[in-house]
Amino acid sequence: MTHLDAVPLWLAVPVAFLLILGSSLTLLGTIGLVQLKSFYERLHAPTLGTSWGVASIVLSSMMLFSWLGSRLVVHEAVLAVFVMITTPVTLMMLGRAALHRDRTEQSPELPEAVQRALGSAQAPEAAVSQKA
Amino acid sequence: MIQQNLILILIFLPFLGAIAASTLSVNAHNAAAWLSGAVLVGGLIVMAALYPAIEEGRVLRSVLTWIPSLRLNLSFRIDGFAWLFVTLVLGIGLLVVLYARYYLSKSDPVPRFYCFLLAFTGAMVGMLVSGNIIMLVVFWELTSVISFLLIGYWYHNPAARDGARMALIVTATGGICLLAAMLILGQIVGSYDLDRVLASGEVIRAHPLYLTVLALFLIGAFTKSAQFPFHFWLPNAMAAPTPVSAFLHSATMVKAGVFLLVRFSPALGGSEAWFFAVTGTGMVTLIVGAVFALFRHDLKGLLAYSTISHLGLITALAGIGSTGAIVAAIFHIANHAVFKASLFMAAGIIDHESGTRDMRRLSGLMRLMPVTGTLAIVAAAAMAGVPLLNGFLSKEMFFAEAASWHNGSWLDDALPYLATFASIFAVAYSLRFIMTVFFGPPPTDLPKMPHEPSPWMRRPVELLVLICLLVGILPGTTLGPVLNMAARSVLGPETPYFSIAVWHGFNTPMIMSLIALVLGAVLYFVFAARISEGPEGPPLLHRIRAQRIFERMLLSLSWKWPRVLHRLFGTERLQPQLRLIVLLSFAAGAATLWGGITFLQKTGLPAFDPAFALMWVVGGVCAIGAAWQAKYHRFASLALLGGAGVITCLTFTWFSAPDLAVTQLLVEVVTTVLLLLGLRWLPKRREEIVGDKLAPARIRRAWDLVIAGASGIGIAGIAYVMMSRPLVPGIGDWFLKNAYHEGGGTNVVNVILVDFRAFDTFGEISVLAIVGITVYALLRRFRPGAESAGLPEQQLGEEAEALKDYLVVPSVIMQWMFPVMIVMSAYLFFRGHDLPGGGFSAGVTLAIALLLQYLASTVRWVESHIVILPIRWMGLGLLISCGTGIGAWLFGYPFLTAHARYLDLPLIGKVPAATALLFDIGVYALVVGATVLMLIAIAHQSLRSARLRAQDEAPAEKEVA
Repeated sequence: MTHLDAVPLWLAVPVAFLLILGSSLTLLGTIGLVQLKSFYERLHAPTLGTSWGVASIVLSSMMLFSWLGSRLVVHEAVLAVFVMITTPVTLMMLGRAALHRDRTEQSPELPEAVQRALGSAQAPEAAVSQKA
Repeated sequence: MIQQNLILILIFLPFLGAIAASTLSVNAHNAAAWLSGAVLVGGLIVMAALYPAIEEGRVLRSVLTWIPSLRLNLSFRIDGFAWLFVTLVLGIGLLVVLYARYYLSKSDPVPRFYCFLLAFTGAMVGMLVSGNIIMLVVFWELTSVISFLLIGYWYHNPAARDGARMALIVTATGGICLLAAMLILGQIVGSYDLDRVLASGEVIRAHPLYLTVLALFLIGAFTKSAQFPFHFWLPNAMAAPTPVSAFLHSATMVKAGVFLLVRFSPALGGSEAWFFAVTGTGMVTLIVGAVFALFRHDLKGLLAYSTISHLGLITALAGIGSTGAIVAAIFHIANHAVFKASLFMAAGIIDHESGTRDMRRLSGLMRLMPVTGTLAIVAAAAMAGVPLLNGFLSKEMFFAEAASWHNGSWLDDALPYLATFASIFAVAYSLRFIMTVFFGPPPTDLPKMPHEPSPWMRRPVELLVLICLLVGILPGTTLGPVLNMAARSVLGPETPYFSIAVWHGFNTPMIMSLIALVLGAVLYFVFAARISEGPEGPPLLHRIRAQRIFERMLLSLSWKWPRVLHRLFGTERLQPQLRLIVLLSFAAGAATLWGGITFLQKTGLPAFDPAFALMWVVGGVCAIGAAWQAKYHRFASLALLGGAGVITCLTFTWFSAPDLAVTQLLVEVVTTVLLLLGLRWLPKRREEIVGDKLAPARIRRAWDLVIAGASGIGIAGIAYVMMSRPLVPGIGDWFLKNAYHEGGGTNVVNVILVDFRAFDTFGEISVLAIVGITVYALLRRFRPGAESAGLPEQQLGEEAEALKDYLVVPSVIMQWMFPVMIVMSAYLFFRGHDLPGGGFSAGVTLAIALLLQYLASTVRWVESHIVILPIRWMGLGLLISCGTGIGAWLFGYPFLTAHARYLDLPLIGKVPAATALLFDIGVYALVVGATVLMLIAIAHQSLRSARLRAQDEAPAEKEVA
């Protein structure tokens, strides 16, 4: 860890703080992914890591390596941009797919709001089918 | 020197003429005929110029150095025999051109005919004057191929196609045997030079392989010269236009075989095997041909069998091999060419003017076409061997040889009787030809009313018949000197002068001739009526048709057996094929490594790292999960496969192989997306398969598991052994050390790919191109199963409304990313020589960019906005890489030698530039092309199925309406 010895304290503190913040958020998101019950809840968990988690890790990395390299190192920002663009889109697609599946399978995991909307639309039909 | 050049002119003139003729317009009848005539006259002038030297008994040679380092030269030689033969070919060719000018109808395409005719002449002349026996075989095969084209000139006629194919198969097979014979001969003698081979007859005959050579050689000669039992192709080749028949089957093609027999008789002949094989076959062919000819109703069929018979006669003479026999053989070659060409032409005139060649319908043509009739009668008399005509003389010589020459064997004793017997039939069929066609009552049911042809169509026949008469009456002054010259060149300079006279006294041959004439006439007049009512062939024998046997063999060889083999060894199901491939590779690997592999106790492996182990556990679980889920949950399996891929990629990064990691990542992306797109078209597999839980299926799966496990463990073992070995010093270090100095790049992987091992890369991209085209070709014809052809359920019903815009946001992002990815691809490409990247990964990146566009919107939208021509990308890529490689030749370096230097560019400054970068551009373009081609192949499925749906819906709507 010799090259880190040269980092002054005023820089080391924010870098460390951001790094720990980012990794803690990512860890939390990962734990959430495992712990949360329904698919829809789990969709939210990883966003912790991909939004603030990535941002603070990238920030800390930019600060540290700009100092170490004696020049402005910003290309990590592109990484953050890509992650921030792609993750929500991916999760949105996943959510839609799950919604579609649960609707067709009439799954109990379907969020209540959707169930209610569906119920009002399909109630007469359901009644007919129950009679039959 | 001038003679050498003349020989070269002789060889190349017909081919140049053929090229010129092929450029003429389709209707240029006169121009083509004049051109061909001029070429052939030019050849004859050359022959006239060479005559004085040939007459002195010299052998003229001309050698073109071709590849001196391999001692491959084009050597040509002309001696008396070749001179006689070439003159014959050119002379008859000239007459055939004149004849064809009036024979071919206005609608026949002219350039093709004259082009083939001239090319055939060239091939034939080349064969005759080759001084190298391998080159001789090359020209020999060339005559086979061009004769195929000539016989099949009227290719819309099935008979012509069949005849041409049969002639090609028979003669080309013989040609392959001949090639084998010549190769062995060359090995025995130690040289492929014709002179050396001809001079080493003793060595050849004493060699243990003599009989093999003889058998192969004779198959070659007999197939070409239509000797029994290979004679059947010749009658079928009569579907050719008559000028072609007159040329090929009188003077040229079929005479090549007997030319070869006579030519090689000093080298291969003189043994008992030669005598029995050659004379025996010749006599059988002589008799079979003569007997069959008598029973043919088709004019050209009769002439074809008669040709077979006469070729048998010449073959028999070559087998006897005495001086007199060789002279007689050469003499008969010339005589037969003259009278048979005129007869074919006469038959063509009759066919042309009357519209039929059937002798049962033709009758009494003498009143309608007296001149042609007279000419044909004279020529047919020459064929029958009537005195004062040329056919009589050579037949007489044949009889003399048959009667006088003795080696005491049974065949020798039988020769005179066999010869007379065949001759009786020859007289009979010649008589039949004359009597049925020209005499008798006037014809009644002819398609056309015959009349004399245009005088120029008759000129060639007149000239040929005149030659028949001249040679027949004055043999000693006309053909005698040339004949002796030819015989001397075959048999050696000390051959005594052989004088040919019309009258030899009342001796044995004369008696044989008279018997044949009388008995032949009797035979014909007794059986004439019965023959014309009978079938096309001798009684009983006509049922045995060699052609049928040939066709049955052909059917078996090219159709039945391949299918049987395919059924036995091939399968259309993928699984057994893959199983076979894996088992074979396993067996091959095991066989090579068995006993030769040692496990070293080497501790050079990195220390155990729990994080890495965990990563690999995840990867392993993904891989096993992928295999486990592959059957019923393809999508899950694909996702797991991606997981395993990511772990591989991480492993590369872990061990500091960024280049591999980048490539792996990109390839994973492309593979996953392409597979995902492909999944759409596979049939659904949600339901359980019937019988999947039964014992056979379980056993099969267990067995597959064993195979997979064994192969996997084997690969793992090999990898472990390799990795636990000490690093081979040298190669890796050498690459590391020299990458910058010699390759001009610091990214060693890339320098190896595009510079040190560029030729391997070149091969690989060629394979990639082939694979891309193959995938495209396979998918182009692919139609999805009925259950997956329709719209997916997500796009049906009210769900479709809800999901209509499901891709709006992603597609916007994907379209935004397009330029970014292009820049990324360029970045990867340009930095490739020094940093991780390179043509391959850049190409894949661009392909991914295009792939995303296809995903983002519809196929139609993409293709109306970007023009992607993957085949051109691929072609351009191959051209660039190949061109870069060839560029090295310009500077005198081997293929694909790279050069690196720094260039001063204005504004930018010094930039490293290597020709390897050019090569990399080729790789880049090809990778883009091949990947996108596969993508398009899959993407267009959706277009096709949409079109199918539209077609299905249209009738349904009509019904509703």
